[in-house]
Amino acid sequence: MSNYTHYTHFLKDKHFIRWQLTPNKELDIQWHDFIQKNPSSLKALNEAIDYLRTTGLNNNTFSKIEREKLLNEIQLTIARNSKKRKIRKIIQLSVASCAAIALIVIGSTLFQKQNSTTAPEQELIVGSLLSNEDIKLITGKESLSFQNDVQVEFDKDGTAKVIQGDNAKRETVKLAKSEQNTLIVPYGKRSTLTLSDGSKVWLNSGSVLEFPAQFTDKNREIRLASGEMYIEVAPDKRRSFYVHTSNFNVKVYGTKFNISAYSESVSAVVLVEGSVSLKSKNNNEVFINPYEQAVYKESGAFETQKVDVNQFISWKDGYVIFEDTPISDVLKYISRYYNLSFDYKDTNLQKRTCTGKIYLFENLDKVMTTIATLSSTTYKKNGNQIFITREANKKH
Amino acid sequence: MRKTEGIASIYNSYVNDLYTYALYLGFEKEIIMDAIHDVFCKIAADEKALHDVSNVKFYLFRSLKNRLYDIYKSDRGHVNLHTIESQELPFNILVTVEDKFISKEEQQQIENQIAEMLNSLTERQREVVYLRYVQEYDYQQISQLLNISVHGCRKLLSKAMLNLREKYGSLILLFLLS
Repeated sequence: MSNYTHYTHFLKDKHFIRWQLTPNKELDIQWHDFIQKNPSSLKALNEAIDYLRTTGLNNNTFSKIEREKLLNEIQLTIARNSKKRKIRKIIQLSVASCAAIALIVIGSTLFQKQNSTTAPEQELIVGSLLSNEDIKLITGKESLSFQNDVQVEFDKDGTAKVIQGDNAKRETVKLAKSEQNTLIVPYGKRSTLTLSDGSKVWLNSGSVLEFPAQFTDKNREIRLASGEMYIEVAPDKRRSFYVHTSNFNVKVYGTKFNISAYSESVSAVVLVEGSVSLKSKNNNEVFINPYEQAVYKESGAFETQKVDVNQFISWKDGYVIFEDTPISDVLKYISRYYNLSFDYKDTNLQKRTCTGKIYLFENLDKVMTTIATLSSTTYKKNGNQIFITREANKKH
Repeated sequence: MRKTEGIASIYNSYVNDLYTYALYLGFEKEIIMDAIHDVFCKIAADEKALHDVSNVKFYLFRSLKNRLYDIYKSDRGHVNLHTIESQELPFNILVTVEDKFISKEEQQQIENQIAEMLNSLTERQREVVYLRYVQEYDYQQISQLLNISVHGCRKLLSKAMLNLREKYGSLILLFLLS
């Protein structure tokens, strides 16, 4: 038995296993004697004890992705529940002070009556459909226009194929190799783009992306001049992937993420998988983890927080999720997607919120009807004009 | 914010132990994930729970077992359990030995031998051994997890000891002679 030099020797010994599973004084003494006679086996014995307990009988683990996903779900539920609790507290408080308020209301309505002849509250949002622009792909000196959403695919050798429209009506255009390209996706349109390294890009409405036909041997760099994109970067250990925006640069370590850089909204990056670092012009650098969002602040710093990733990337699959989102933000989103313009500055409807899932159908009527339902408003279309009003009073 | 960070570190420390325990009780991964989700959301909602409970890990184990038991009772048709007839939950330990210095065959052999020893115990005996030996809970805690008396708990463990001695105790002789 003195030849027990490796922990697996002990693991083979039923006597050792029995001692470990159901230790008692008698067995303890026997093994104590054993180690006094064979001190060279002490290290192996300790390793065996450790191994059996931690790995041998307890080696079931979630994968890293599963573990992170579950934690994220837990934290979201906790956040949602604590929001609910706060609301409940407010309700309780308001019930308690109800009587007092009732008195004040009675008092103040007496005074207000005199002033109530002012203009009635405006409860109308007017929108208009704007003229459609084409998607433009600028390669070298050439510029190509497409009326419908396109799929652009670059091969390894830098030649491109453009597929227009849906599967029913395919039209392929081959492009000559060109060093620098720009894909312009106007409001109301979307595109996907496969880069020469195999990375896949979804471009949302109102986006401008600059990219080379082929990447150099050193780095892979593209520039999102404006707009929003979701990207699945093809792994390549030798060449880092960079996305530049006007405010910051993103360094990618093989990953999936969403990046939003519209000039009229805040710029933000949401990470789905892997790891990225963001660096602003004044050299503030921040690393973000999956399920985190980094929002660019005007100061040049970033603010990170945990988010429900799906809310930020669902647009690429043709739907958006809103949760207590002000109707003004919903309309801003819809107007980018369908190229509309809304005027909602002077309206009480602004305070309405929308919660739910909106499928981004090609048919704008369907979409607007969904928004109306979710925000309890009524929607009417007249020519190029869209009218959103308060829900019509139901007849008694 | 601080509270959720606290939850994250507790989660990362114990999630694999919780997963293993639930797996041994015969539940499927999806159901285990749901149950763990519920357990952590419950603690977060009950701030006192974390302050009052001196042993967080034990609190988690107990909450998880209660949650799993509820799921088991309410959802018997869907849960794929190893033993459907018995009223009690099964308990089966998975043995893994992975070492690059010995062959796959040898690893398998060791695993089988340890598994065989564990299989000579009843399910409840196995659970007590696991909770005592691997998780290092005391009799008081184990009795709460198994919903039996402390005395019953001691009895289970001494039965397990006798079982193993009867079947594998003869090795002592060889051991003493060598």
